[in-house]
Amino acid sequence: MSKLILNRRRFLHSAAATSAVLASPMYIRRASAQSSGEVNIWTYNDFVPESFQKQFEADTGIKVNIRLVDDQGKQFNLLAAEQPNPTVDIMTVAGHRFLQFIDSQLLAPLDTDRLSNWNNINPTFSESDWATINGNKWGAPILSGMEVLSYNTDFVTQEEAMTWDTLFSEDYRNQTAYIIQDMMSVVMLMMGYDGNMVEYMDDPEKAAQIVEEAKNFLIEHKPLVRKYYDSGAEFQQMMVNQDIVLGHSWNGPAAALINDGFPLGMTIPNEGSYGFVYTYNIANNAPNADNAYKFLDAILASPEIGAAMTKASGFISTYKGADQYLSELERKSTSFPEEQLANLQFFRAEANDLKYSLVDPAVEAIKAA
Amino acid sequence: MTQNVSSEQTTRNIGGGNSTPVFWGRLSGWGPYHALVRVATASPRRQFLILAAFPILWVLSQHLGPMLQMFRVSLTDAYPVAPGVEQNFTLDNYVRFFGDSIFWMPFFRTLIFAGVFTFCTLLITYPVAYFLARHVSRKNQMLFLLLLLIPFWVGEIVRTYAIMILLGNTGAVNLVLTTFGLVDRPIPFMYTSFSMGVGIVYLTSLYMLLPLYSALEKLPKSMNEAAADLGAGAWTRFRRISLPLTIEGISSGCTLVFLISTGFYATPVLLGGPSTTVFAETIAGFFHVAGDQWPTGAAFATIMFAAALLITAAFQKIMSALRKGDPR
Repeated sequence: MSKLILNRRRFLHSAAATSAVLASPMYIRRASAQSSGEVNIWTYNDFVPESFQKQFEADTGIKVNIRLVDDQGKQFNLLAAEQPNPTVDIMTVAGHRFLQFIDSQLLAPLDTDRLSNWNNINPTFSESDWATINGNKWGAPILSGMEVLSYNTDFVTQEEAMTWDTLFSEDYRNQTAYIIQDMMSVVMLMMGYDGNMVEYMDDPEKAAQIVEEAKNFLIEHKPLVRKYYDSGAEFQQMMVNQDIVLGHSWNGPAAALINDGFPLGMTIPNEGSYGFVYTYNIANNAPNADNAYKFLDAILASPEIGAAMTKASGFISTYKGADQYLSELERKSTSFPEEQLANLQFFRAEANDLKYSLVDPAVEAIKAA
Repeated sequence: MTQNVSSEQTTRNIGGGNSTPVFWGRLSGWGPYHALVRVATASPRRQFLILAAFPILWVLSQHLGPMLQMFRVSLTDAYPVAPGVEQNFTLDNYVRFFGDSIFWMPFFRTLIFAGVFTFCTLLITYPVAYFLARHVSRKNQMLFLLLLLIPFWVGEIVRTYAIMILLGNTGAVNLVLTTFGLVDRPIPFMYTSFSMGVGIVYLTSLYMLLPLYSALEKLPKSMNEAAADLGAGAWTRFRRISLPLTIEGISSGCTLVFLISTGFYATPVLLGGPSTTVFAETIAGFFHVAGDQWPTGAAFATIMFAAALLITAAFQKIMSALRKGDPR
């Protein structure tokens, strides 16, 4: 079994590499290292396909330096510490965190006229209400994700996984895991509240009461959970080791496991869930802004590159037609039935100051309890 | 080959033959250099200052510098300072810790865990060090030590993952237990204080072992032999001779392990569970959260540092008092 998985992985990597090389825009190849220099990128693991990176470097002479990040907050802090002379050119900000970065003058408005391939992005993402702030675009959407309930199909049925309640059920005591910060929003949604807290912007008392309820719920159910985790890799490892059979996760790491042949399913439960979009953004005062635009235009050039990003990360591509370059299994692992998608709403940023001023201490209280 | 060439050059310089002297030869014959060396080494105090300059600079820039910077940040209300924001000095970050009891639990949990794990490490490594120092022939001791050191050639994270592979539901321990029918289903070792303890004891054992080995190795065998001749049993010999005479090693090892244990971050994150959150995780949370939370994290780190130092000082005081009963 393990041999099969390894062979399959190798095949997928080779296929992804070939696709991405073929997908590289002709103008990059023609450029043949005419320009040079470097571009510094902060991004999540697997968000820049390796084959694309090599091809881009060979064709443009621009060296791509990638620093891996695993958290939006860390990225914010690093960038804030480096301003006004950052070392980074492109970073990866989730759409619902734009405001915080923009308010702190950490991002430069994106000049979409410099991106000839901008229209390759599905307008559902590039023209969404969150994508335009103060009349400017601030990032190029690349991948879309959501908070899902993932389950080992050998132990949990899809019917059970259609409600978040199962995550807090005695039946799965010590076999579950979740990210507390994200679960706070989901629990608020489970309780019938607005997890984005936009509805309570004018009523801080009500907001505080809701967060308190969600906090108490998670404290009450703390004895049932096996692990509070932080990264997708941790979730994957716990699932593979069968330390857990059920957990809240992002769809990307879950899809990557499904594509590797692990018996995993995922749902957007009936109570609902939240979606988010990762975007590539250019830092304010970026040291290599021209190279950053070249990189962005190149990576947006074709749906095959978008598909390669999906294959590597498991998140859903925002590129038009990327799904045509996915296998049947990959398409299945990155799509959801219409009735489940109807339960999905996107994270919003308007009430972030209020929300996180309440949620962050609550998270600490849950951990300490 | 290189060695031959150097020897040849040195010989030429010393011999002062017709060949041109190399760099060091020319430098030592240069007047200003001579004068500088004469001034710098004119007195023992100057020699000491020159020798001490680099270590002092190193300690100031690499050790004290970052800590002083952390302390300074802990006294501010904003860091990193956003454009248009004025940074002010404040004690609010310290007040936040003492004013909010939710932070006390991980703080005291960390100190208790560190104390318990230090004691466990001592209990486990003392017999190993004793065996190594007293029962392994001197020529094999280095080989034995080398074998014990091998796991420490790789980093903390890799060794932590090794523990995860060992203790996971599909790990080696559960595999043995289920294969031999000792349990019906895997025992959930992972993400508990047990798995965290195993990890920390494993990671810190060397810091305990080396001081203990060093202390036990110096212990004269004749003392134990004399005690045995006078009728003292094994336990009495250990209690009255070996233990008191190795108290310095115990003190050094425990201090090292305790201080290291209070600062562990990655191991509790990877091996710990919902009920084992340690203070390092709380501190890290302030640095991860986007916003002006770094000063609070810095203040909490300073509090942890001060508490660990105070406990260590108290521990050293106790050990010092115990040493007064040392038969030496």
